Amino acid sequence: MSCQRLKKWFDERYDFEGIRSFTKHKLIPVHKYGILYYTGGLTMFLFALQFITGMVLSFYYVPYHEQAHKSIIEIVTKLNMGWLFRSLHHWGAQLAIGVLFIHVFGTLLLKAYRKPRELIWITGFILLAISIFFGLSGYFLLWDERAFAAVRVATGGAGNLPVIGGFIKSFLRGGLDVTGETLIRFYGFHVSVLPFFTLLLIGIHVLLVQYHGMSIPLSQKDNVKKYEPFFPNVLYKDFILWLIALGVVVTLSVFLPPEIGKKADPLAAPPENIKPEWYFLFLFQTLKLFPGDIMGLNGEMIAIILISLGILFFFLIPFLDRKSARDEKSTAFTWIGIIYTVYFVVMTIIGFIT
Amino acid sequence: MKEKMLEKIKMIRDRKIKIAIKSSMFLILISFFTAISLWAEEQIQVFPSAPYDRYIIYQALALFWAGIIGLIVIIRMKLKEIERTQDMGIDKEEKDIPFLD
Amino acid sequence: MRLKFSLITRREFLNTLFGGWLIAFLSGSFYALLKFAYPTLGKEPDFVVLNAKDFTDIPANSVKPFPWGGKLGFIFKRPDNKTVALKGVCTHMECNIAYKPEDKKFYCPCHKGWFDMDGKVIEGPPPKPLEFFELTQEGEKLIVAKKGIKVELPKA
Ligand code: HEM
Ligand code: FES
Repeated sequence: MSCQRLKKWFDERYDFEGIRSFTKHKLIPVHKYGILYYTGGLTMFLFALQFITGMVLSFYYVPYHEQAHKSIIEIVTKLNMGWLFRSLHHWGAQLAIGVLFIHVFGTLLLKAYRKPRELIWITGFILLAISIFFGLSGYFLLWDERAFAAVRVATGGAGNLPVIGGFIKSFLRGGLDVTGETLIRFYGFHVSVLPFFTLLLIGIHVLLVQYHGMSIPLSQKDNVKKYEPFFPNVLYKDFILWLIALGVVVTLSVFLPPEIGKKADPLAAPPENIKPEWYFLFLFQTLKLFPGDIMGLNGEMIAIILISLGILFFFLIPFLDRKSARDEKSTAFTWIGIIYTVYFVVMTIIGFIT
Repeated sequence: MKEKMLEKIKMIRDRKIKIAIKSSMFLILISFFTAISLWAEEQIQVFPSAPYDRYIIYQALALFWAGIIGLIVIIRMKLKEIERTQDMGIDKEEKDIPFLD
Repeated sequence: MRLKFSLITRREFLNTLFGGWLIAFLSGSFYALLKFAYPTLGKEPDFVVLNAKDFTDIPANSVKPFPWGGKLGFIFKRPDNKTVALKGVCTHMECNIAYKPEDKKFYCPCHKGWFDMDGKVIEGPPPKPLEFFELTQEGEKLIVAKKGIKVELPKA
């Protein structure tokens, strides 16, 4: 058979035996929190879906402020399947970010970040930041009133950081204000800068996971029932989950295609009670907690500083949690993890209902 | 004394009812107008509107799910099969078994 | 003769089934992707506007073609003098169909598909009935629209 010949051709040139035995030896521990091992793969699958739908959307989208809004309307109303692919890209993004947050909080609560996996945590953290910026920049490409207002608020918020704020703001906006320049810039980020770094970091992240093997939560160290081979058992289970996720994305896209608002007008007042995308709500809600003026200081600036410190602390958790690094029980960081998770969930819900 | 009290209570009640009626009228009008304005604001069709197209879409969606469910069933059968051979311990190929040909 | 054992193993059977199903599933999805990625050519319109005068004197039991986007449409005067409009394209593999007055049926020569006057499949491979349109007349204009479409004529 030609298949055999092809196999032989490669076997004569490359050492597949090594790879094969490596995949055979990758084992996944089975315990109570085993599902968390699936969240990373699911995120990756949804990202792959975003790449595919994004690539075809870029055939038709025009990243110029005069035409951007119209080109999306044209995609949705005039092109074969256009409405579906725009909808898929939208819902795929929502789900990808949702699953990503589950992945992050899961690894946080199970302390999978502890020594020797600090670098996995760091690459993951950067991927989270990239994903959120992916969402913001993608949303802006729609160039409707809401997207415009959201980006103005978000970049303005970054501008409140002391010292570097103004610099970041102008860099993101491509000028002093949000204009057509910002659109071109965000398009560049969305379709070239961010995808490149996403691929790079996912590559490192996943390679490191292979290198270290799966982390076993401290509480489950003595409760591991057995080990399952990754290939093929766990991979097949991954497939099942991906198929279900694909079905959910397609179903949501068919039944709830995202609306398109009025074309943005940089000179008009923003529409009433704008709300950012859901993954910004916890930040938005936090900002609201602070009065505009705290003892003569700019309240918003204080809020932004506190938020930045909270995020910085989150980033440094693997290095601050000394006990976990020594494989000891670390109650303090269990509570810190719970507080972060609960804060995010509660603030998102509050933001959603108000 | 008592009568006066009752009178007063009645008055307050009446006033409350009037306020309730007025405010509900107001609410109804408001919602009516917002409904009208929403309706007048031309919504962009983000989904094909012809019933024929919609029918095809829903049919394709059903077929898509059938494909997914079929795949899931097959994958689970394969998993069972793999686990069965693994339990028997015959999945590990031995390196130097002599060929029988 | 009954074999005591199967000639294919359970594993081979499952692998073939899995592979085949997966290929079918992926090609279906890929087809949708290609349909979007490939430029949209000759997409069917939601409605077309015709000159009513051109279609007044169709004899009963006959059809007159009109362009439905890039495809064939028929204005069909039925034997009972009712006028209807339909797409003149077979639902099997999109061949153009023809009306056979002597049989009072539509015929598709590609794979010998037959439809009755209401578009129902009588014989042959077509999987679905023919698509009929909504026909309305507004003064000089004859409007042929997909069922359920609200026609908004541009104000002249
Ligand atoms: C993790 C990856 C990604 C996320 C989270 C994401 C997110 C988004 C979001 C939220 C939108 C707005 C959709 C809407 O409201 O209409 C969008 C639009 C868009 N994205 Fe992405 N995206 C991702 C990857 C990509 C990639 C890799 C490309 C291309 C190479 C791409 C190209 C586009 C284009 C052209 C649009 C404009 C079309 C539209 O707005 O409907 N995206 N993206
Ligand atoms: S195309 Fe009409 S019968 Fe096949």
